[in-house]
Amino acid sequence: MTPEETKAFEEKIHAFVGRENGPPKRGNDDVNEAMIRHWAEVMGDELGTYTDAEYAAGTGKGGLIAPPAMLQAWSMEGYPMAENPAQDIQRQLHNVFDAHGFTGVLGTNTSTEFFRDLKPGDQVTAHCIIDTISEQKATGRGIGYFIETLTTYTDQNGEEVGKQVFRVLKFIPADSNDAADSSTEDDSPSVPTRITSPRGHDNSWWWKACDEGKILIQRCTSCQTLRHPPRPMCGECQSIEWDSIESTLDGEVYSFTTLHYPKIPGYQYPNTVGVIQLSEGTRLVANIVDIDYETIKIGMKVKGSVEQVDEKTMLPVFRPE
Amino acid sequence: MITETISFASVNVGDKLPGKEVPITSALIVGGALASRDFTSVHHDKKVAQANGLPDVFMNILTSNGLMGSYVTNWTGPDATVKKIALKLGAPNLPGFVMTLVGEIKAKDDSTGIVDIEVIGENNVWGMHMAGTVQVQLPQ
Amino acid sequence: MVKDKAAIVGIGNTEFSKNSGRSELQLTCEAVRAALDDAGLKPSDVDGMTTFTMDSTDEIELARAVGIGDITFYSRVPHGGGAATGLIHQAVMAIASGMCETVVCYRGLNGRSGHRFSEGVSGNIITADAMHWGWYMPSGLMTPASWVAMYTQRYMHLAGEDKVKEALFEVAYTTRQHGATNPAAMFYDHPFDRAEYDAQKKIVGPLKLYDCCLESDGASAVIITRADKARACKHGGVAIKGVGQSAAKNMESMTSFYRDEIAAIPSMDVAAKEAYKQSGLTPDDIDAAVIYDAFTPIVLWQLESWGFADPLKSADFVLEGGLRLDGRLPTNTHGGQLSEAYIHGVNGIVEATRLVRGTSKNQPDKEINHALVTSGVGVPTGGALLGKMD
Ligand SMILES: [Zn+2]
Repeated sequence: MTPEETKAFEEKIHAFVGRENGPPKRGNDDVNEAMIRHWAEVMGDELGTYTDAEYAAGTGKGGLIAPPAMLQAWSMEGYPMAENPAQDIQRQLHNVFDAHGFTGVLGTNTSTEFFRDLKPGDQVTAHCIIDTISEQKATGRGIGYFIETLTTYTDQNGEEVGKQVFRVLKFIPADSNDAADSSTEDDSPSVPTRITSPRGHDNSWWWKACDEGKILIQRCTSCQTLRHPPRPMCGECQSIEWDSIESTLDGEVYSFTTLHYPKIPGYQYPNTVGVIQLSEGTRLVANIVDIDYETIKIGMKVKGSVEQVDEKTMLPVFRPE
Repeated sequence: MITETISFASVNVGDKLPGKEVPITSALIVGGALASRDFTSVHHDKKVAQANGLPDVFMNILTSNGLMGSYVTNWTGPDATVKKIALKLGAPNLPGFVMTLVGEIKAKDDSTGIVDIEVIGENNVWGMHMAGTVQVQLPQ
Repeated sequence: MVKDKAAIVGIGNTEFSKNSGRSELQLTCEAVRAALDDAGLKPSDVDGMTTFTMDSTDEIELARAVGIGDITFYSRVPHGGGAATGLIHQAVMAIASGMCETVVCYRGLNGRSGHRFSEGVSGNIITADAMHWGWYMPSGLMTPASWVAMYTQRYMHLAGEDKVKEALFEVAYTTRQHGATNPAAMFYDHPFDRAEYDAQKKIVGPLKLYDCCLESDGASAVIITRADKARACKHGGVAIKGVGQSAAKNMESMTSFYRDEIAAIPSMDVAAKEAYKQSGLTPDDIDAAVIYDAFTPIVLWQLESWGFADPLKSADFVLEGGLRLDGRLPTNTHGGQLSEAYIHGVNGIVEATRLVRGTSKNQPDKEINHALVTSGVGVPTGGALLGKMD
């Protein structure tokens, strides 16, 4: 968008700020024991104050209450939204964003305050407004705007029982092309796995052995020098003849580091990686596992094994001896 | 059933709640969506979820809120009162993941009896699912 | 030899931001125009160009857009930030050998709103060295911060962990104070203290958020011309005394973990030796520096490469206040890439030129006769020694 187009667009979206999302929405069901129990079953709520009326009467609560996090559920629209999502003001606002390429949507924050416990028989009504729209932001997902809605919940007496701020990001997806590509090449997506090495003439033999549980070290057959990572020629004697030996995976930590951020799909964090000095003399970069990273020391003896680290990947991992 | 309530006097800033592992299943995702009356298709229809770029149905925000709430109130016991749940959302929760919940007391207000508990839910595949603060008033 | 054969006569930056709202080509055009104006030269005076291999702006597109005429020299330097002073290296060789007279060196990137370097090689990489990264991606060692952290851990082990950590803070702190008083810096008016530094999230190993450089949108350009023509330019010239470039033995891009010792950067040692030899200067002659600071620890190692501290001793130099405006070697007076902007070191060449001209926003009190400026490390790298014209 040119600066002028951006300005016109921002005027359009800011016109939504302060508007009610629609008329106040009274929940179809009053607060009731059955829906509370269904909720408590799924969420693993173990308090008798939610599900055991007799017990609840004897507690400080004086009777059954609803789990507080249920507040929003009481005024949800329910089944009709599966087929026909409500065409409320918020939807219209999102349509304006969509039409300008901001098709991505992501809930980023929610904050709910509870002014009193809700009891069976309470009637909840939601009053929602478009509260704020941020300036344009560059986010990890792409360029976009944060929209905050503010919902006030009242009871049968018109008293406020809670308040919820909900923040979503509407953004221009940074990699919309990538998503399209991956959906065509693989129609049964699964849990992400580690990024594997490309395999070519000079390295595929090493990775194939790794797949089979062996870590090999390339050896010059002319001068016997070991080398890793593999290369087609010996830097000592320029021979292109080589074979390999299998490493015992005895070694020590030459250096290491622990990654916290960014978190890449397929990896677990914190993720500790070491440069391992193998007893054969070459070094190998691999994960160090089963140890608190703060206790790792350079020089520490480690022992490696080749393990399946996810659905698709075999890798060497090292543990303290 | 949990009947004991933790008292305000017995907790200190820095105290940690016992961690909890929550296996994420299709049943939990769909069950949570229905219990919260959220029929948005991405929470029960795998095809729609995939059209939205995710491999499978994913947990709705109300369920994340509910799990954060139950994690805290199962620890506090019945006579505590939740005042606020504020959370930042991260990576989606999908079937097959395991989410680990951890909590730590970050602040204590003597005048109101309210403690701030930082709760983080991280799944084993994509990392942080939610991170936030639950404010809960404990009996003195 | 190249000493005093060519001089920087024009410098230009765009503004630095998180979202420029325009193309990298346009950013570069604006920076080049600013540099030409600064020199008092016309686009038609330019007959040579140098940039990074990874820059998206094509030389002939830029020439056509800016109104540059016939070009007789163009060259690109590989290895990301390692190319920064390589732009000078190429330009000086071309001018000294008579291939051209006036070279524009440029770099423009939407490094925040476009491709972000912090993501490392986790995306689809299609470079010829994909197989090299294959040794590190499966374990997850695939971000620039993590590669640097691997050297840092080893360095701390040998130099003393507590002292090095203190020095990392001092690098981040000094740089940020400089950025806070430079109106062009992204951290202008945002100084920080120990508590704020400590409160930031851990990125990798000992590195926290403020040990890592910014990600920014923007462009920088410098104009280099023949020394005898420089005197007629609007601000005169800043002479190029020496410029070294090197990929030392047994090198991998960012992952040279297989050398006898990894707590140092041999490529910069070689480049420094080259630049000192060409210029006839010694470390004692250098009054100020712009040292490539993608991460705080890499500043320490470069101080050792350029002879301001003995190997493993640069933390002492830093903790004595050596990088401060009143210190031995006022460094990254613009706020560096930690606090001004990350334009792959070319904004650093702009600042080093200002230091010799005496026009930095944070100009040290002492006279700056010679300033050092360096390129990114971990990759093949280099550095240039600039000075007043004889
Ligand atoms: Zn050999």
